Amino acid sequence: MAAAALTSVTLLAAGCSGGDDNGDTGTGETGAPAAEGAATDRELVIWAGSQTPITANFNPYAVGVLHLANGGIYETLFNYNKVKDVDPTPMLAESSEWNADGTELTVKLRAGVTWNDGEAFTADDVVYSFTNETAKPSYLADAKAADDTTVVFSFDEPAFANEFAILGSTYIVPQHVFSTHEEDTGESAEGGEIKGLIAWANAESPVGTGPYLLDTTSNAAYTAKANPDYWGGAPKVASLRYVGIDANQSAEDLLTTGQIDWTTMFVPDPERITASGAYGYVNTPVDPTVLYTCANADLGCEGAQTDVAVRQALNLAIDRGTINEKAFVGLAKEISPTFALLGRDDKWIADGMPAESPQTADAAAAAKVLEDAGYTKDADGFYGKDGKPVELTLTSVDGWSDYNNAAKLIEEQARAAGLKVTASTISWNEFADARVSGDFELIMGGVVGTSIADPFQIYREWFTGDYTQKVGTALEPGEWNFSRYANDEVDAAVATASQTNDEAVKKEAYATVQKHIVEDLPYIPLVVNASQTFFNSTNYTGWPTEDDMYMFPPSWQGPSSGLILSKVGGTE
Amino acid sequence: MKFYLRRIGFYAVTLWAAISLNFFIPRLLPGDPFTIIMAKLQRAGDISPQVENTIRLMLGAAEDKSIWEQYADYWANLFQGNLGVSVTQFPTPVTELIGDALPWTLGLVGTATVISFVLGIGLGALAGWKRGSWVDGLIPSTTMLQSLPYFWVALIFIFVFSVTLRWFPIIGGYDVFGFNGPEWTWAFVGSVIYHAFLPALTIVISSVGGWLLGMRNMMVSTLSEDYITTAEAKGLRPRRVFTTYAARNAAMPSLAGFGVSLGFVVAGSLVMEQVFTYPGIGKLMITAVRNNDYALMQGTFLVITLAVLAALFLMDVIYGFIDPRTRHHG
Repeated sequence: MAAAALTSVTLLAAGCSGGDDNGDTGTGETGAPAAEGAATDRELVIWAGSQTPITANFNPYAVGVLHLANGGIYETLFNYNKVKDVDPTPMLAESSEWNADGTELTVKLRAGVTWNDGEAFTADDVVYSFTNETAKPSYLADAKAADDTTVVFSFDEPAFANEFAILGSTYIVPQHVFSTHEEDTGESAEGGEIKGLIAWANAESPVGTGPYLLDTTSNAAYTAKANPDYWGGAPKVASLRYVGIDANQSAEDLLTTGQIDWTTMFVPDPERITASGAYGYVNTPVDPTVLYTCANADLGCEGAQTDVAVRQALNLAIDRGTINEKAFVGLAKEISPTFALLGRDDKWIADGMPAESPQTADAAAAAKVLEDAGYTKDADGFYGKDGKPVELTLTSVDGWSDYNNAAKLIEEQARAAGLKVTASTISWNEFADARVSGDFELIMGGVVGTSIADPFQIYREWFTGDYTQKVGTALEPGEWNFSRYANDEVDAAVATASQTNDEAVKKEAYATVQKHIVEDLPYIPLVVNASQTFFNSTNYTGWPTEDDMYMFPPSWQGPSSGLILSKVGGTE
Repeated sequence: MKFYLRRIGFYAVTLWAAISLNFFIPRLLPGDPFTIIMAKLQRAGDISPQVENTIRLMLGAAEDKSIWEQYADYWANLFQGNLGVSVTQFPTPVTELIGDALPWTLGLVGTATVISFVLGIGLGALAGWKRGSWVDGLIPSTTMLQSLPYFWVALIFIFVFSVTLRWFPIIGGYDVFGFNGPEWTWAFVGSVIYHAFLPALTIVISSVGGWLLGMRNMMVSTLSEDYITTAEAKGLRPRRVFTTYAARNAAMPSLAGFGVSLGFVVAGSLVMEQVFTYPGIGKLMITAVRNNDYALMQGTFLVITLAVLAALFLMDVIYGFIDPRTRHHG
């Protein structure tokens, strides 16, 4: 293995920070978040997508955990910025370091942090957060506290690929509180018994390290107040209110009338809200929208889309520019067929790979692909093979109007190229069921954008044979390969990339992955979906803006929303 | 007596069938709660590895019981008043969710239904009595209002009265920005009434037309009956003819309809609750169906079934008293 495996990413984190430039309230030398602006009593109203009735649940392990818990109350070791290729912000950790072969990760913790019940935060809490029965990841061999501020994680196999899961998305919980709830019991929907931490709602004064303390809860809203002893300095905004809103239109109306201060939601005409100047606005597209195709006949997929030529022709027939303009009101961004996020992951796009998917339709090229593969046009102008016409059903979730409109456009565009695609809508439940079971031809759906500047997670979880099941068998939680795509070379390259932190080796492996997925198109890329965040810039300052995108801005995203809350302050 | 026994028997069988359907129909829906939850979480960005684990653990907790065993358990639980735990609102028991939502639904939708009925019957009777007067002129406009889609009317009202004029709030059953939860103060009661006004108005506007039109037409045909002519010929005061002879008889069919709509009050008003973010049963039902939350679906359907059957039973009994003809086979 290459000698240069000592990781640079997290070593740099300790030295690089924006926090200490801010002077007055910055604590510590390692980039702790520092609040901006002045202290204010004006209550910050947030809509993070919750609908009523709200059930108080602040257990970070629970499915229905409320947004405040993720980042506002419980924190992670580091905070990764989903929109920029920068070093993560140290939170409860100060630095981390891999050993050469990726089997040991040493994390230095921040000293002097206390839980909001007054107990000291220790290395044992971190160990507990990774080894308790509910949270323990399967790839982790052991976690040990070397001393009060050092935790050593060990793995049986190189675990570079799990760095983000460990450092960036596992919430650190207090052992002295959580260990007393391991025997809690509850009832599942089917009447079975649930035992352990997941049965606990943690709704009474949750104990965390974050910048806010839970104050009141009701089924319409919940409030929080600033944690005066926060390790990063007491937040400037004295209280928060998270409200539940059932309709997007209501949220938009509340924005126009100035009753919400921070929200992330789709607004087709953002100008209407920003025109008054009271609100700032950023659009940070990160999550790809694609056509899932059930691509693998070996695993039981049925339909014309199992032929790669049909998928290629469809890919060429789509006019992405028009789709973005008409269905996504011009707010979406160009997508790369390599699934690297353009602008952030450019360095990972291999030489010779097209940077972005074609923005205009090329019916002639599509026809050539089909004809080369032995398809012929029938009397109505539609292609078919061996007397069997190509007929594909493209479904999208009823009521997701942007997707429904895009599907209609694709139907027209495909038909213009001689492919008989029919768009139809299905219920949310049918959508969820179809994609995990593999019972579909084409579905318009989303891909979760990676949280770090590296498309690895998409390659592994959406494109490898290890993350899929036969058609008819439901995918397990954590498996995302809905297309049933399986390619030995892709699997091998992903395995290679997961074993190393050497950029050159990874690039070579990614080149192999990209060559296949750009050719095979198990997911036909369309656009990168908009993510629009609106914030009250009249009464508050310190928000992530176009100029200073220090963190991924959505109000619903944990743990990054916690970091933003600790930075925001009043304007006067 | 035999009539009532027969009716009670009939309702018992209907109740059993309805409760059984409540159990089986949700299970015919595609998908299972956890794939739906995963899909929903994915829409909102990353899923933390621990939550993924939780979903796996909860899936494991679903015991492999046969559907008949589940059906037996369901009945056993029902008799203990246990409606189970909601998956989407974990770990709140379904009874608590329904208990929280029911007062809002009964208060708002119930009041609005009664207002709409009284208004519709009153104006309808007048319109039928004085054909061609200004009241009669209301008919086309109210019927048109009723034929407009409810959500559209509600959105327009919100846009005009809440967003543009700012007379009324946009969301909530009370001021969710000011109160931290329901409390027993006059300020809170005032807030509840203030927040209920616009939703109630939209419900009345979109339902009054039906009552009005029905009552008016019944009134017109009642007025042509012989006994009305007789009453007039006897020289009774017009007021007496109007109330005791015409309106009273004309209201009979509407009253039956009113009984049924009172039963359905419990179902809430799905669209209203969605548009105004108003607490209520309708919303629980939508959430339950969208997420394949079996326990919550069963619970809400059960309450609605019981309410409708109770309303029908009550109407049956009342009708038996008022109109002896219904007690005997024709």
